[in-house]
Amino acid sequence: MLKSGFKAGATNVVMLHKTVPQVAQELHACIGCNECLLACPAVTDSITIDVLNRETLSGPISVPVARFARSCYQCGACVAPCPVGLHRDAMMMWLKVRMLRSGWGE
Amino acid sequence: MTRQVKIQTVDGAEIVIVGNGIAGLTAAVEARKLAPDKRIVMITDQNHPTINTPALKQFAIGKLTREQLLAYPAGTERTQRIHVINARVEEIQAQKKYVCLTGGRGFGYESLLIATGSVATGLPQNLPGRDFDGVLTLHRLNDYLDMRRRLSEIEDAVVVGGGSHAIETVVSLLYWGIRVHWLIRSDTFIPRMLDRPASDMVLERIRRAGAKVYTQTEVIGVVGRVGSVNGVVTNQHQFLPCQLVLVCTGTTPVTALAAHCDLPMKSKHGILVDDQLRTSVRDIYSAGDVAALKDPQTGGYAPRAQWYAAVLQGRIAAAAMTGSVASEEGFGVPWHATRLGELSMLTVGNPLQLHDTATTLTDNSKGSYRRLSIVDDRLVGYLSLSPLQPDGLAIKRLIDEGHSISHIKKALLKGNFDARKYFSHQRTYAAHYMVHTGTLPAPGALESPIKTQPLVHTLRETGPLGVPEEAVMRSSIKSGVNTHSLYDTSTHDDLIQQKTLLFFELNEPLFFEEGFAPDLARQQQTGMPCVIESTLVALPSNTSRRTSGSLWSYSDKLPAVKAKPGNSQFIIFPRSEKEEREHSQARVHPSSSLWSYTDKHVAVKKGH
Repeated sequence: MLKSGFKAGATNVVMLHKTVPQVAQELHACIGCNECLLACPAVTDSITIDVLNRETLSGPISVPVARFARSCYQCGACVAPCPVGLHRDAMMMWLKVRMLRSGWGE
Repeated sequence: MTRQVKIQTVDGAEIVIVGNGIAGLTAAVEARKLAPDKRIVMITDQNHPTINTPALKQFAIGKLTREQLLAYPAGTERTQRIHVINARVEEIQAQKKYVCLTGGRGFGYESLLIATGSVATGLPQNLPGRDFDGVLTLHRLNDYLDMRRRLSEIEDAVVVGGGSHAIETVVSLLYWGIRVHWLIRSDTFIPRMLDRPASDMVLERIRRAGAKVYTQTEVIGVVGRVGSVNGVVTNQHQFLPCQLVLVCTGTTPVTALAAHCDLPMKSKHGILVDDQLRTSVRDIYSAGDVAALKDPQTGGYAPRAQWYAAVLQGRIAAAAMTGSVASEEGFGVPWHATRLGELSMLTVGNPLQLHDTATTLTDNSKGSYRRLSIVDDRLVGYLSLSPLQPDGLAIKRLIDEGHSISHIKKALLKGNFDARKYFSHQRTYAAHYMVHTGTLPAPGALESPIKTQPLVHTLRETGPLGVPEEAVMRSSIKSGVNTHSLYDTSTHDDLIQQKTLLFFELNEPLFFEEGFAPDLARQQQTGMPCVIESTLVALPSNTSRRTSGSLWSYSDKLPAVKAKPGNSQFIIFPRSEKEEREHSQARVHPSSSLWSYTDKHVAVKKGH
């Protein structure tokens, strides 16, 4: 199933399953080099990686970060440039789950 | 920026942290979370807030602004009520539990964390010409600010050092179109971490990118003209003209406080700590570059001067200082991931040591190199050099938890190991087991399963500090994780299930706790087979994964690596017309690097 996703022209299937501890571990391992944000086609505000990481992990979510999370369409462009092999897509997914829970749903 | 507190107003605190690097600040923030009412003070002589030090290389070449370097949002210290004192700690009076600041002022503590980090080793003290203007030792923010100001007027630079810091500097300079001479003392690159084929591969790539690499070469003198650098003389009797000498010869832990403590504090290339980060003196802890931890595989103590290790240590130190139970699962084996030019390097565990006991598998297909060290079906070391960084933390987990890798060996070797799929399958087995046998994991097995069991199999080929028991440990490697009597007679499959049960519990809550994941408890009641599947989300295609205008792609300033758009010379798999069209519609990225990856490339590789 996964393989078919990589065939040219087929629907791109992205696996989004990472557990909370894994996402937290990756957030802690983030070195803040900004490569993921530089590669991101969806980011519009000037979001810094420290704020994004803190708000993905816990606490209130600010307006620019919420706007960014909404415009993120999980394309995965952020994953390949990461020098330490982390998965910003999974972190963004977790941020979206947190947003839904904290009432940013609409 | 950092909040200054008048020393007179505070004469002691429950938690005192020396140093505001990432280990110190992480410990402070974490301690605030665990102990909301304790007074936390951070003493530092650094004149700036905590920064992302690994991002300094991006900062040096102008890809980041200073604000983007901040490790925590500005004002975190204030909002977390962490008092910052700008002073230097001279000595520790551990018997009376206070530290002495410059000027002789005392400051009391209940728990003290030493997170003083490291200093750059630099050029030898007696090297002629080391004080000329233009000789920079790169380590701190100031050094990078200095380098950044100079780059526009530099044509030739010499980089000294044979580690990953040196190659990162070389790549940064190439990005600016500067001619680089790179001097390495040994005859391979990072002999401690890379074997010869891997080193050759890295050096070959960096040569092709335009750097001149001189192995077995050292600087014996810096030549100056009217006070600034004009060139260097090497031990190979060469004169290399340059305007900038960048020294990246490694770091030394700052263990001065261990020496200036009234009780004996063990230190040897770092302050020795146990797995709770306690030093040999009561109520004093140490974390970050200065702390020397025990490697579970070799038994030797060494600092782990890496970002993630420092964050983890800060968190564990905070838990220990506040008397809380650490939620972390321990440090496990060393893990180091970085980008070396267009290659991503990953080392986990000890892929190079253990020659006699371990089976070594290597693979160097498709422009990458991987080396696996395996002992009795368990991975003990992993080295990877490839254009795309593998999921290193997942591989670390394979080693730390002692998974059997017989059925994923090939994927690991070929570099297409899918960690998400693997670990979600593990959870599926766990759920199956729970449903079909009707048994829940025994409580004993769930209480901190990892702390009671050896995290990593200790191996006979240990470092100099190895202890005799290790030979005994070694003989029980196969049942390393399976130490509970409950499972003594279990078959291999049961073993997997037992372990996965543990993972399952450890991984609660699952990623999609609400709405997405099947309700486990309910399914169990109805007796339905419970399969927790990975959530697959279909997305529109043409969301290609290509490298960005990455710092680590070489600049198009360099003719040597400039690839013309549409030049198929470097594209391994020619595109069809349709794909070409799709590709041209995609966002244009600034990088025109030879090493840019297209989605198709990955796809073909994966499907292979």
